[in-house]
Amino acid sequence: MMTRRGFLHTAALSSLLTKDGYAAPLTGLPHFAAKAKRVIFLFQHGGPSQLDLFDWKPNLAKVRGQDLPDSVRQGQRLTGMTAYQATFPTAPTIFQFAQHGKSGAWMSELIPHTAKIADELCIMKSLHTEAINHDPAVTFFQTGFQLAGRPSIGSWMSYGLGSENQDLPSFVVLISQGRGNSQALADRMWGSGFLPTKYQGVKFRSGKDPVLYLSNPEGYTAGARRRFLDDLGQLNQARLEEYQDPEIATRIAQYEMAYRMQSSVPELADLSKEPESTFAMYGPDARKPGSYAANCILARRLAERGVRFIQLFHRGWDQHGTLPKQIRWQCEDTDQATAALITDLKQRGLLDDTIVIWGGEFGRTVYSQGELTETNYGRDHHPRCFTMFAAGGGFRGGYTHGETDDFSYNITKDPMEVHDLNATMMHLLGVDHTRLTFKFQGRHYRLTDVHGKVVKELLS
Amino acid sequence: MRHYLFFVFAGFTLAADGKLSFNRDIRPILSDKCFACHGPDAKAKGIALRLDSEEAAKRDLGRGRRGIVAGDAAASLVVQRITAPKAGMRMPPPTAGVTLSESEIETLRTWIGQGAEWEKHWSLIPPVKRAGTIDSFVKERLAKEGLTFSPEASKETLIRRATLDLTGLPPTVAEVDAFLADRSAQAYGRLLDRLLASPRYGERMAARWLDAARYADTNGYQYDGERVMWRWRDYVIASFNKNKPFDVFAKEQIAGDMLPGATFEQKLATAFNRNHRGNTEDGIVAEEYAVEYVVDRIETTSAVFMGLTMGCARCHNHKYDPLTQKEFYQMFAYFNNVPERGRAMKYGNSPPVMAAPTEAQQKKLAALNAEIHASDAAVSAKAGIVAAARAKWEKSLTGPQAWAPYGERNAAFSFDDGGAPGRLGGAQMFDGTAVVKGPEGSGAFDIEDRFTISAWVKGNGTIASRKSSDGFKTKGIGFYVIDGKLQFHITSQWESDALRVESEERIPEGAWHHVAVAYGGTRMAEDALLYVDGKPVKAKFVSDTLYRPFVNAGNKFPAPLVIGGGAGKEQRFRGLLDEVRVYGRQLRADEITVMAAGRTLAELAAKPKPERSAPEELQLQLAFLETAAPDAVRQAWVRGQELRVERERFERTFPSVMVMAESPVRKTTNLLIRGAYDKPGDAVEPGMPAVLPPLPAGAPNNRLGFAEWLVDRGNPLTARVTVNRFWQSLFGTGLVKTAEDFGQQGEWPSHPELLDWLSVDFMDNGWNVKGLLKKIMLSETYRQSSKATPALLAKDPDNRLLARGPRIRMAAEMVRDAALFEAGLLQERLGGPSVKPYQPDGLWKEVIMQDMDYVQAKGSDLYRRGLYTFWKRTAAPPMMMNFDASQREACMVRENRTNTPLQALNLMNDVTFLEAARFIGQRMLLEGGTEKDGRLRHGFRIVMGRVPTEKEMGVLRASLSYHLDYFASHGEEREAYLSYGDTEAAKGIDRGQLAGYAAVASLLLNTDEAITKE
Repeated sequence: MMTRRGFLHTAALSSLLTKDGYAAPLTGLPHFAAKAKRVIFLFQHGGPSQLDLFDWKPNLAKVRGQDLPDSVRQGQRLTGMTAYQATFPTAPTIFQFAQHGKSGAWMSELIPHTAKIADELCIMKSLHTEAINHDPAVTFFQTGFQLAGRPSIGSWMSYGLGSENQDLPSFVVLISQGRGNSQALADRMWGSGFLPTKYQGVKFRSGKDPVLYLSNPEGYTAGARRRFLDDLGQLNQARLEEYQDPEIATRIAQYEMAYRMQSSVPELADLSKEPESTFAMYGPDARKPGSYAANCILARRLAERGVRFIQLFHRGWDQHGTLPKQIRWQCEDTDQATAALITDLKQRGLLDDTIVIWGGEFGRTVYSQGELTETNYGRDHHPRCFTMFAAGGGFRGGYTHGETDDFSYNITKDPMEVHDLNATMMHLLGVDHTRLTFKFQGRHYRLTDVHGKVVKELLS
Repeated sequence: MRHYLFFVFAGFTLAADGKLSFNRDIRPILSDKCFACHGPDAKAKGIALRLDSEEAAKRDLGRGRRGIVAGDAAASLVVQRITAPKAGMRMPPPTAGVTLSESEIETLRTWIGQGAEWEKHWSLIPPVKRAGTIDSFVKERLAKEGLTFSPEASKETLIRRATLDLTGLPPTVAEVDAFLADRSAQAYGRLLDRLLASPRYGERMAARWLDAARYADTNGYQYDGERVMWRWRDYVIASFNKNKPFDVFAKEQIAGDMLPGATFEQKLATAFNRNHRGNTEDGIVAEEYAVEYVVDRIETTSAVFMGLTMGCARCHNHKYDPLTQKEFYQMFAYFNNVPERGRAMKYGNSPPVMAAPTEAQQKKLAALNAEIHASDAAVSAKAGIVAAARAKWEKSLTGPQAWAPYGERNAAFSFDDGGAPGRLGGAQMFDGTAVVKGPEGSGAFDIEDRFTISAWVKGNGTIASRKSSDGFKTKGIGFYVIDGKLQFHITSQWESDALRVESEERIPEGAWHHVAVAYGGTRMAEDALLYVDGKPVKAKFVSDTLYRPFVNAGNKFPAPLVIGGGAGKEQRFRGLLDEVRVYGRQLRADEITVMAAGRTLAELAAKPKPERSAPEELQLQLAFLETAAPDAVRQAWVRGQELRVERERFERTFPSVMVMAESPVRKTTNLLIRGAYDKPGDAVEPGMPAVLPPLPAGAPNNRLGFAEWLVDRGNPLTARVTVNRFWQSLFGTGLVKTAEDFGQQGEWPSHPELLDWLSVDFMDNGWNVKGLLKKIMLSETYRQSSKATPALLAKDPDNRLLARGPRIRMAAEMVRDAALFEAGLLQERLGGPSVKPYQPDGLWKEVIMQDMDYVQAKGSDLYRRGLYTFWKRTAAPPMMMNFDASQREACMVRENRTNTPLQALNLMNDVTFLEAARFIGQRMLLEGGTEKDGRLRHGFRIVMGRVPTEKEMGVLRASLSYHLDYFASHGEEREAYLSYGDTEAAKGIDRGQLAGYAAVASLLLNTDEAITKE
């Protein structure tokens, strides 16, 4: 729709049949040589606690239970959930931390597998966000704006960079359920906003239909479908000849793409031919369709097939209460598979041009939400600093960026906006974030709005 | 594409005549490429040169340098800089993210050379009607390009096009035949009249209005709980069907509540501006979202009615259009006076709301009222007999009985055997340990139920409770005297989801007092009324954030009613309780006064009549009528009371709707610095942007005045924007392609004089929408064939010049509606609650919180038109999203179409379309005669409205024979294939035949033509 109308004639149909599944890149893109070709975004939905995973604060033990000093809190606004609390008792993590790899990155005992690949990771401890609640924060993360209506990162990338696979969508979304407190997702988080709908993320689901409406009806074989499409092609072709409308040619091509997806997607989603070693690597959960671990294997398979943007959402990181118990579950469900994915990509030579990003929409407070006991505490949302990591695709492994204060409350060095992360990611994909724009309602919109800078230190 | 298009238009322009027009040729370039820095917001950026006004662009910037020197391109700074050889000097700079093409530079240069004449932005100049017709304007333009109209479309095509455009559904075979048979010159005009008179017309028109109004059945944001707005949707359908003048339609929706003597319908209309999302998340800062709602109203109102992107001026002066940030907040002030809260209700509607009975309900209510009136009359007719009988009855009274109001008595504890002396008979002593449990199921109210609890108390503690567990802060209901103060709690979650009210005054100790709480089920603290000794008392709202019902999809609430405790050991009652009564309705003040009279009937009767207070006298009268009056009177009275109960129950079934309302005292509006809710700047008064006309004379400076201004003759935008959108609905693209933006960044109209002609004509004819549509559809322009040629495609790929008719894919809901209609499955019924048709399992579950799941409809609700499909904003109906429907999270006025493999899969494999194919197959068998060809031809006509060609028949025959053979030898597969959908096939049809024809019907439904208006 965007690019082809008007240039097409019936004669061009043959090339369309093979080419026009998902779009070609925009003219002029990439803007410069790309380090990375694709992204796997492991979004940890709910806001994982940086204090219990990466941001080691040994001095907190000394002030355990004491009210968070005003000098640290600086009157920052709190969510309606803890604003009523009379005190804000400082809650050090109860998990053990140690240094890992040549880089000596600190990580907690909750993520032993991630710890083993510490030197692959570019750890960013100084991310911050304006949003304090899940919905606006995730919407901001995924679309660059807190309110609904703008395209998601994957939509932007598939709009700008097109697809490298004729048989699969260029932007795929995989969702898994956590065991911790979960918050809601929304279509807009992978929606195309004001971009044409074809750039929206296609949700792959576990079960019979990995893509909605993918399977032929019961009793209708692939052979019958092929025959059906041949007949359909003839009817559409006749109309095309009479009306000359290029949309008909596109329609014919899309039916062929649909047919190819009917075999390419189940083949992709079928993990049964993966060797034993794969499951050993990603962990026992990987055999459960729809689990995070299974989705990580799928992510690798999608990356192998050239899918541009692979967006995972793992729910359940919203630990307002019983954090120690819940975060243990969350890590049990994700740590091994995350590390396995990065290792696997590396072994297959894919990590060089695949960016893997791990993180959630914000961090969590150092003070306990609810009662602080020897074994239990909760943490409220904390937008002022949180930790993410990236690996591969030109991100600098074995490097830690940014620092926070003794309470992991305020950033003390190299603050990073979410827009900066997106700008940097786009840079590695060969895209100048200020130049990938779309005009809507009179404005040239971009993912990073009027913000964002490439963080050079993160580049390898 | 965009650049390509621009190039095409620039090409036309230059070819047409040498003289460039500022509005048409220059402003789009300056606006898009320069205004972001050299525009209205330049000063704030410290930039001296402004190009958005003639004066600024031509003024001396010092040392004789001028941005534009009329007639001398080379001397103009603008030309020097856009052609600067040094990259560092060249405009626009790389950071601007835009570049100027060679042809744009040339255009600017030429225009300056021609004298650099300025014009006010075209859309701000009131339209004038030049003599002409729709066709003359289009032809004039075509002639300049050396083009002519295409021939008229065939009659089969025309009737299908017009029927789809006006009703959203294809014509039936019989309708096509009738139209073909009508050879009179008026046939087409009559067709249009018939279609415009169809109730389907309102549904078709409403569908796009719902997109514009961001209508949905849920609140959006995180919880995305259900809301009830469908009564407004039905108002929209009815308004289009009535052909309500568009100016009235607009005015009602903006300020219907403020019209003098506002009717129910006018108030209902204002739901338009409550359709925005509402955030219900626990931790939000309410003020932040209160601002967002007002902003949404302005963005929606200005985009829908005026084609202005007002939202751009929220944080700073508009970068392209002459709108300042202050003006944004002046407009904000018109919409900022709603008594609403920033945190919306998690479930259901957020105030202000109103009951919105359907027409049928309104009729039934009137009938109930008449019946109540008749019963009352029957009682008063016997007043004489009653008085005599009552005097006799009073003398006979003995014992401890008291009387309490009739209707919805839920539980009562007289405690006459309680052992302690009571206020009325005996009382129950509570010592802080024992409690009294209510009967099974008593007091089982949820947060939206109405109820009343009353009691005589002498002491402190829990009067009555119904709690998830024995605790003060646990989920449930509690009514207390604590520290002498009356407290009433409804707790869903203690901190963030609770209603708590507390009497300001202490109840004097050591004596009996009658206390009551009467709650109206609105979840609002102001609706939990406290009474002491029969009088309402002032209460403090300790917490007023109740949202979540006790019983929801994930939770049950079986807790028992407990008297004297149940809300924590510490709060158990100490002292005496008597006459605890629980009602399933909100008792009126006079009823509570009666209870607080506090005497047994015998005591009251013993009092000489003149000494009785009014409540005491009333209590005797009512007790007599209920229990002892002569049969005919008693029955009439009881009937009257029961009807009242019935009426209240009935009223509770009325759908509600969120509407606009005005706070009595106008809220102050401040400019918000950088648009942030917590950074208020100067206070502003409501007012119109300076660039637009002022309020009409005599219009009040409030939302009503705004509404009047919007549709005032002097407003240059509203009529243009409106006719453009209707044009878009017929041609796929508006005369102004950017239907949502008529500002400087919007696109120049393809036919400016035609747009103006239509706008003025529309207003001249009383904003008559049906008239407008008919006029356009009668034109030769509309009636052209949509067949293209390679030459035409090369010259005008997007058909902006209109040398051919529109050929566009149907909107999402039309694709589904058409299939259901063709199958004979469509259930046509105007309006009603939204329905949940087929949807793949688990789509909501995988993204939502615990307590809302998709429960698919059964029976006829599976087959309603798409505009009645339940719209959950965060997980919208997947078929609709596949076919480019608006997500309904924000206003959307431009129609958007893509062409994807997901659409193909949807049409091939979704149960909706498989079932539709099965029923089209059945129709082919039942209605298409006995021969294969006749049946195939019939099926083809059902779907396409035309007769197939021989070539097409060949394809259909081959497909049929393949499928018949296949299903003949594959019985199990056949049955599986026929199993899709809930509706059974007609009896006695051969299963193999049915499957074969169903497969061919599926083929038909998947053709490009089936989902396209040609």
